Amino acid sequence: MNKGNLCFVLHAHLPFVRHPEDEHFLEERWFYEAVTESYIPMISAFDELVEEGVPFRLTFSVSPTLLTMLTDGLLQERYLRHLDKLIELAEKEVQRTSNTVLHPVAVMYRDRFHHARYVFAEKYGCNLINALRRLQDLGRLEVITCAATHGFLPLLMTQPGAVRAQVGVAVELYTKHFGRPPVGIWLPECAYTHGIEDILKEFGIKYFFTDTHGVLFASRRPKYGVFAPVFCPNGVAVFGRDLESSRQVWSSNEGYPGDFDYREYYRDIGHDLDYDYISPYIHPDGIRLNTGIKYSRITGKGYDKEPYNVEYARYKAENHAGNFLFNREHQFQYLNSLMDREPIIVAPYDAELFGHWWFEGPYWLQNVLRKAHYDFPGIDTITPGDYLKKYTCNQVVLPCPSTWGNKGYNEVWLCRENDWVYRHLHIAASRMVELASEHAYAGGLKERAVKQAARELLLAQSSDWAFIMHTGTMVDYAIRRTKQHIQNFLRLYEQIKNNSIDESFVGDLEYRNNIFPDINTNHFKGQNPEVYSETG
Amino acid sequence: MSIMAWVLGVAAILLLLIVILQRAGFTQGILRKKIGSPKQSYMEEFADELAGDFLVAPTPYPKTKPQHPEIPWQYGADRLVLMVRDPNWLFAYWEITAAKQDEFSQQYGQSAWGSSRPVLRVYDVTGVEFNGSNANNYIDYAISDYVDNWHLEVSRPNSTLCVDVGRVFPDGRFVTLLRSNIVHTPSMEVSNLVDEEWMWIDGIYRTITRLHPGSSPLMMEDVSQRMGLVPLGISSPEFTRSANNSNLP
Repeated sequence: MNKGNLCFVLHAHLPFVRHPEDEHFLEERWFYEAVTESYIPMISAFDELVEEGVPFRLTFSVSPTLLTMLTDGLLQERYLRHLDKLIELAEKEVQRTSNTVLHPVAVMYRDRFHHARYVFAEKYGCNLINALRRLQDLGRLEVITCAATHGFLPLLMTQPGAVRAQVGVAVELYTKHFGRPPVGIWLPECAYTHGIEDILKEFGIKYFFTDTHGVLFASRRPKYGVFAPVFCPNGVAVFGRDLESSRQVWSSNEGYPGDFDYREYYRDIGHDLDYDYISPYIHPDGIRLNTGIKYSRITGKGYDKEPYNVEYARYKAENHAGNFLFNREHQFQYLNSLMDREPIIVAPYDAELFGHWWFEGPYWLQNVLRKAHYDFPGIDTITPGDYLKKYTCNQVVLPCPSTWGNKGYNEVWLCRENDWVYRHLHIAASRMVELASEHAYAGGLKERAVKQAARELLLAQSSDWAFIMHTGTMVDYAIRRTKQHIQNFLRLYEQIKNNSIDESFVGDLEYRNNIFPDINTNHFKGQNPEVYSETG
Repeated sequence: MSIMAWVLGVAAILLLLIVILQRAGFTQGILRKKIGSPKQSYMEEFADELAGDFLVAPTPYPKTKPQHPEIPWQYGADRLVLMVRDPNWLFAYWEITAAKQDEFSQQYGQSAWGSSRPVLRVYDVTGVEFNGSNANNYIDYAISDYVDNWHLEVSRPNSTLCVDVGRVFPDGRFVTLLRSNIVHTPSMEVSNLVDEEWMWIDGIYRTITRLHPGSSPLMMEDVSQRMGLVPLGISSPEFTRSANNSNLP
């Protein structure tokens, strides 16, 4: 019988957008939207499968910035207030649309938001990491980590200490929240370059992922292409992305999310309804925003849109789930005819694609996982950790530097719009290495200042800022964040060097940028044998 | 008649004013480029792009935003850093301190700086333990005295490279001011090295090699799909276009 292993990887990440100084900070809404539209629906989908007894396996990467925000008391409180406003709006919408064709859709949103509130507040005590930990402990998810602030590691490798800190801080935070060290890592932007694997090994990480060509263009031709992992010369495993399964979900022309029966993303009542009616639910300054309530289906190419129909959309998602598995079955059939072991198909996606952008995505994924179990006995969902236990002997090659960005290399994060950030990031990193070495045993205020300097540097390194500068939207925010963290870092550096630390300045930064409270600045210094005992 | 003259006069003055203002803005732009400070005009770009394409109603951005935090451009340290953009392109940035420049002038004479021209020399040091004189070959890129960063088209996949920023004298003599770190560019093709005990399976490669990451349109789509990720709820014009395409059957 044909047999194959399907490895879904969802990468959940948002940059650190916590702004205690302003309850209505625009960028904080990225977080709220992702929680309501992606994380909660996905967790609910998994929980339902658990209740049904479907034994699925899925790999879920949660970035340390997102993990920090999900466990942050202030953001939890604010999110709940945000959700309550949304519920209030949804209730009004149910009234407003009564006796219209939109009514069932309004009811759907109201019910979803009430359910989201139950899942968030009651079931998981306002901390969705509880949900991920539970799903991992139940043997359904393999939760992995990502670099501390989603730094673009290949372009930080001029100071290996900076990359070591990105990885080390992430591993420690993960261990604190999940009670065990992570077995794998999602490299931010799937970006790999030579040498990163050595730092991963220092922290006990067993595997990472690259884009297809990261494995395919390796130093030696990989026997199985991307349908089996390879080992780096140091023994860390690498899994390459499968193109076919990616295309079916991602591609704007062939992908499922563009189906005419699916929900249209760009029609939101936050933009479309009368200002007086909607103003309490958008930004207090009058900026129109997405509320998440959208009544249209994609319908077709034109401007006119038909109302969304829940039944049609669900039917399509179920069909697309079957179609996805049917195609994988064919792929496995072909691979089985060639390979002397079971192939693995690695299908990584941004978690926020599901639900936020592709509204039906979580439902589709749930159906894929359920159908794989009931209708496709030849397809096993699997995690990289499982596969490495099954096949312990793998070819040794050096992967090719690569990313999953446009054109497959570093251009998105190193182009004319954002190349200026590196001259600051690099010098700050070397100064941080200096601080960490010179003040390794500092205590009191100096220790606080050194730790805060490390936080500021890590925050400046987020790949998100360079990415946003490249895309050309919300650029001002990205530039501001980069410059602010660099400035904070440089001030702290000067104060530490001159022995003139301003306690209120340090205190203010600790309050604003409170990420990684237990940060270990020794990671910047160099390979630290203590790390092994700390992380297992 | 006199009203016409008035109108014409005012129009002429206005025109002159516009020309002068534009000139001022233009030279300012050039200057900024020369000293290489980061661009300041992102807000305008943002507003243009949004208004141009898809927003139904213009969205007011909150009042006037405060100035960007000030950070230095130069750090008073000599350095030249080389980075890989892709198999064909590198990026280098550098800082030459006044002390370094003085050192050069002391060694080669006060007029040496002025009579020499700046050059980036990219060495191919693939398979070599580089000692400054054993590179496989090199290419020179003429640059101006006013730049401190450069995107270099090298077209050398899977190669080890290093760069010097230096000065070339009229007689062709090259003097290194700063040397960069060494980088290795990614490959663009399947390796020809094969392990005997892991003989590659031709059938697998026939299904995937036709997709070339360097040029695949798939990757272009990927990046626009990824817009779902970061600027959540904020749609870039680029993304809107591809999303409209996504409505195709």
